[in-house]
Formats: sequence, C-alpha cells, structure tokens
Amino acid sequence: MRKLNVYQIYAPVKKESHWSYEALDKPESIRLDHLNTIQSPKMIIFPQREVFFEFHNAEGNTPVMKEPASEPSATVIFGVRPCDAVGVTHQDKVFNGDFKDLYYWKRRNQTILVGLACDTPPSPHCFCLSVGGSPHFTAGFDILMTELEDFYYVESFSKKGDTLINLAGDIFSTPKENSKKDKEKAHSDSEKKLKRHIKNLETVPPKLKNMFDSPLWEEESLSCIQCGICTYLCPTCHCFDISDELDSSSPLSGKRVRTWDNCQFPDFTMHSSGHNPRPDRASRLRQRIMHKFNYFVTNYQAYQCTGCGRCIAKCPVGIDIIEVLEKVRDYGK
Amino acid sequence: MVALEDLKQEAKNVLEGGTVKYIIGYKKPAAGFMAVPAFFHKPEDLDALVWDPTCFHNLVLFLKDEKKRKLGQKEPDERPVGIVVKGCDSRAVNVLLQENYIDRENVYILGVSCGKTGMVDLKKVRKYFMGKIISQIDFNENESFTVTTTEGKVEVPATDIFADRCTECRTASPVIHDVLLGEDSVRTPENPFGSLEEMENKSQEQKWDFWQEQLTKCIRCYACRSICPMCYCDECVVDTINFAVYPDTPAEEKAQKIKWVEKSPTTSENFIYHMVRAIHLAGRCVDCAECERACPVDIPLRFLNKKLEKESKELFDYDVGYDIEIPALISSFRDEDPEDFIR
Repeated sequence: MRKLNVYQIYAPVKKESHWSYEALDKPESIRLDHLNTIQSPKMIIFPQREVFFEFHNAEGNTPVMKEPASEPSATVIFGVRPCDAVGVTHQDKVFNGDFKDLYYWKRRNQTILVGLACDTPPSPHCFCLSVGGSPHFTAGFDILMTELEDFYYVESFSKKGDTLINLAGDIFSTPKENSKKDKEKAHSDSEKKLKRHIKNLETVPPKLKNMFDSPLWEEESLSCIQCGICTYLCPTCHCFDISDELDSSSPLSGKRVRTWDNCQFPDFTMHSSGHNPRPDRASRLRQRIMHKFNYFVTNYQAYQCTGCGRCIAKCPVGIDIIEVLEKVRDYGK
Repeated sequence: MVALEDLKQEAKNVLEGGTVKYIIGYKKPAAGFMAVPAFFHKPEDLDALVWDPTCFHNLVLFLKDEKKRKLGQKEPDERPVGIVVKGCDSRAVNVLLQENYIDRENVYILGVSCGKTGMVDLKKVRKYFMGKIISQIDFNENESFTVTTTEGKVEVPATDIFADRCTECRTASPVIHDVLLGEDSVRTPENPFGSLEEMENKSQEQKWDFWQEQLTKCIRCYACRSICPMCYCDECVVDTINFAVYPDTPAEEKAQKIKWVEKSPTTSENFIYHMVRAIHLAGRCVDCAECERACPVDIPLRFLNKKLEKESKELFDYDVGYDIEIPALISSFRDEDPEDFIR
C-alpha cells in the first residue's frame, strides 16, 4: 500500500460491532475478512453531502459564486464486494443519462475499485445470484482478487487496474499453471454457499406493471416505520436534493449543497400546494419496489438491486425485500 | 414464564369473539431467528404468533398508525386493537393515555411478563455466538436464555446477552393490561441509572469528544425518531410537510419557510436533531431503547434519554409511565419545583 501513496485509499475497517469503509493512513489496518460494511462504497463516490459552490452577496456588490477549492483526489477503494461494485455501475447509468452529472463523474473518474470475491457470503441475507450477480462478479471492477490457498489470484480489467498493478510491482508474480482452475473452482464453490434465493424473479417486472393499485402494498407496509435505512444503505439508491444552506442572511452568504434524499420520507414528494402524491407508507413501499424492479428495468435493462441484503439485515421491523418480491411473484396465484 | 399457548388462546378468544378488530403481535420472519412485528386479522393466523426474547420491538408504536388510519375513515370500526405489550411497552401505553393521545377503550392490552429475564441484545448475541448460526432463542425458568444453534442447545446466563435497558428495568411485567400472561413480578434493580455513571464521570471535554464522534456518524435516516412510540408530532422539525401554501402565497414566504435543521448530515446539524429529540422525550421516554436498537450506525442514543429520565427523577421526583392520573411532567408546575435555571 505504501507504493500507492499518491492515492487516497479506502478499505473496510472493523469497528466495535460492524465494518465500515474508512480512509486509511496505515496499511496495517486493512483486513480482508470483512462482512458486509454498514454502508457501501456509494458513500465515497456519491457522498451524502457535497458542496457545489459557495455564494456571497454583499449589499451594493455583484454576487460572487465560488466553487470548492479542492478537486477530488485519485482514490482506491480496496476490498469491495462484487455486489457493491455492481451498485456503482448502476449509479454510473443514472448519472450518465441525458444529463452528465459533472460532480459525480469528477469523483468517479478518479476512483479505482479493487474487489474481493466472496468465498463465503458476507451477510446471511446475500442473494446476488438471484439478481444477475454472483460472489465473483466482475462488473465495475478495475481489479478483482480471489483468495486461494496462500495467495490472491488477481485479475485486472482496465487501464486503471493495470497502472495500479505496475505500481505495486514485485508483490505480483505470474500465476501458476493450475491457479486459474483453482480460482474457477473457488468461484463455483462460493456460489453454493449462498443461502437466499428468489426463484423466477424475471416474472416480477412484467407483473409489477399491473400492480400499481394492488392491496399488497398496504399489507406489506403495515409495519414500515418510514425511516431511511433501506434506501440510504442501498448501494444503488441515488435520489438527492439540492438546497441552499445559509451562513448569514445579511450579507447573504452560504453554500449550495447536494444531499441524499429518500423516497420513504414524508416530504420527499410533498408539493408546495400541500398535495402529496405518495401520501402513505403503502405508496412509498410500492415506489421502492417499482423503481428497483420495474422502472429501472425498463430504463436500463437491469434490476436496481444487487442482492447485498443490507435493507433486510438493517430494517428495524424486519421488512424483507425477498419476501415482498416473492409475494408479488405469487400474487393472485 | 409466559406459556405461548396461553397467549395464543387469549388472543384467539378476543379476536374470534370480535372484542378486538385485529391484534398486533410478533411472528417469525421469512429468514433468521429474530421476531418481527405482525398484524393478525384472522383467528387462524394466530398460529404464527410468537413470544420469545427477540420480541424487543415496542409495538405501541403502531397505535400511532391506527389513530391516523381511523382519522381518515368515514365510519371507523370503533372496536379496540389488541396489542401484545411488555413491561416497558406498557409504560409507553400509559404515557399516550396520560397525554390523551389515545383512549383506554382504543386498546385491548395482552400483557406479557418478561419474568426473570427480558430481551436479548443482538450485538451481544452475535459477539457471543460469533460464527455460529442461531435458529432460536427461548426463555426458560432460570435467569438465563436457551439458545439453539446448529450445534445444539445451550443455556446462556441472561447477564451475558441481556439488553442493557433490561438490567435497569423496574417493570418486568406490564403496569397496565386487560389480561396478564406470566407472573406479575416487580423488580428492584440496585442502581436503575447505573449505566450512566461512566459517562457522568467523564470531564466536559471527554463528553464533548465522545458525542462529537458518535453524532458525526449519524446518517439522518431518522429511524430513531420513526420507531419511537412517543414521536407522534404531526410535523417533525426535520420534515416540513404541513406548511400551508396557497395559490396566492408569495414566493418570498415560501422561500422564508423556517428550516430548523439542514438536510446535511454535518456534526452541528446532527447535534441539533438529536438534542431536539432528546429534549422532547424528557419525562416521556420509557427506556424501551428502540431508538438505539434501530440505529444502523450504532449511536448509543439510550444514554441521552436515560440521562433525562434521571434528571426527571432527581429534580422532579417524576417516574415516567406509572401513573396516568398525574399531569405530564412537561405540562405541569408545582410550587416545590426547583427553578434555579430561571434565577
């Protein structure tokens, strides 16, 4: 890691009772036996708060706007789980639509994702295989490492990945003849260890198209407390709000900031007229499911879910997205 | 100890007989061993009802939804809702009654006693059984829990995996109920505010450092607020939803809508949010500790509320949720109240 000192490096660090991505200052704190981190690397590439610019308007003068002085630095995120890298690729799609989000891409283009294939599921609720991923999926990665007996089998998929490997130099050696086979075996073994699956998920998106007014949403959302855990911890949720935060009203000065926003909050769709088109928990749960498994599929031909299991593991009232999807699948049968 | 069959029978009796319109209780989830809140509308559904040391959720929370639902109905079903209530939860019912948020005839309380133990703390359980797969945790007749893993059953002393709040609990069985399952036990913990001592002994700087680190972690998901049975304001300071805007409301007025707390999860904004919440719960929090359990980033929120519970006790000799006949702490004044803060 010392050879990579031009990069800002993030890696999973063990906290008292959980894992989280932290900026590292010494390589000793890296451990690669991590379970699912509380937050995905989304928090680094698309931070919860981002200052667009500062403004200042002293009376009688022309208003002044100033962009933040520092540019995002080259960053390596180390030990990323495949589901979380898929999450980044989904964010890429959204921020690369008709409007290219400069703020996002400034960071994203400077980010190198170094992944670690899962030999055992890092959460009891992992279900990546059901949503088109796998414990060794390579999408989004510049580099993927697979742990074999006493070394890592390392694959690079991009120029950024090659650069990193060249920088590290002699810690790498040419793989032995049978290593590739061992790696493939490790990969197929890891798939067998997944405990949770959704069968026939492909039948869900077409079915959802006719379920907008279904009573299922009310039934499934009865215990929902409408907090922001499921969406804030989700590696794919990307909704945001932009607001002006004032430091002083006279003279007028402050910052324009972007912060995450959340479809489960009551003011998310609140109109200034007082009308709220999604007035209750049922319509908000419906939105979460519809966005991930209907609208996103239509727009980007992929589920907006990577099977990381965070929303299930952390829901304070045990709402289980797998169970909800199964109920949608079997609804009316 | 509560016999689950007795609880099911009591629940069936009132649901079948039409005494209640539905029952709020617990069931097993699709995956895992932890109970989840469940709503039982048909007597036959009650086969899924469970009661075990993972029933930590304070179901009183759902009485808020029931009240709001009823307000939206033209001809609401006026029958009460059946609800499974632990000792701590029962005090939450009392606070809602005391504050006239609900009426006594709105609820049919199926009280369950925690007996000699209480609820487990999931973090402690995970640490204790690191790497093992747990399938069930049960009460037993002793001061311990019976934990079933893939390797078999083991008895674990309650103190090893107990929720912190349960070690300081004074109400192991409900103080208000229509029917009580299990023993009517009173507990007198040696030091009901013992968990605060370490924090109280810290210097002001140490306390500041501690809370600065803890509250900086906050991602403002508001799970602590949303899971709290006491947080029932129509409009919370963090989400402005009731600001009336009419076609002729001028733009300046809309723009000048007061923002009490910014959306940014910065340390100072997080402090404001958590301080507002803590103060609003003074003399109302029953220490069910659901806020701390729900927090996805492990902020020890219980400290804040427990401290205010202690202040209420020491300054005003006020115990939360025991007596619905006395006026609520924050809406009453007595001549003997200390008022040093005014002088």
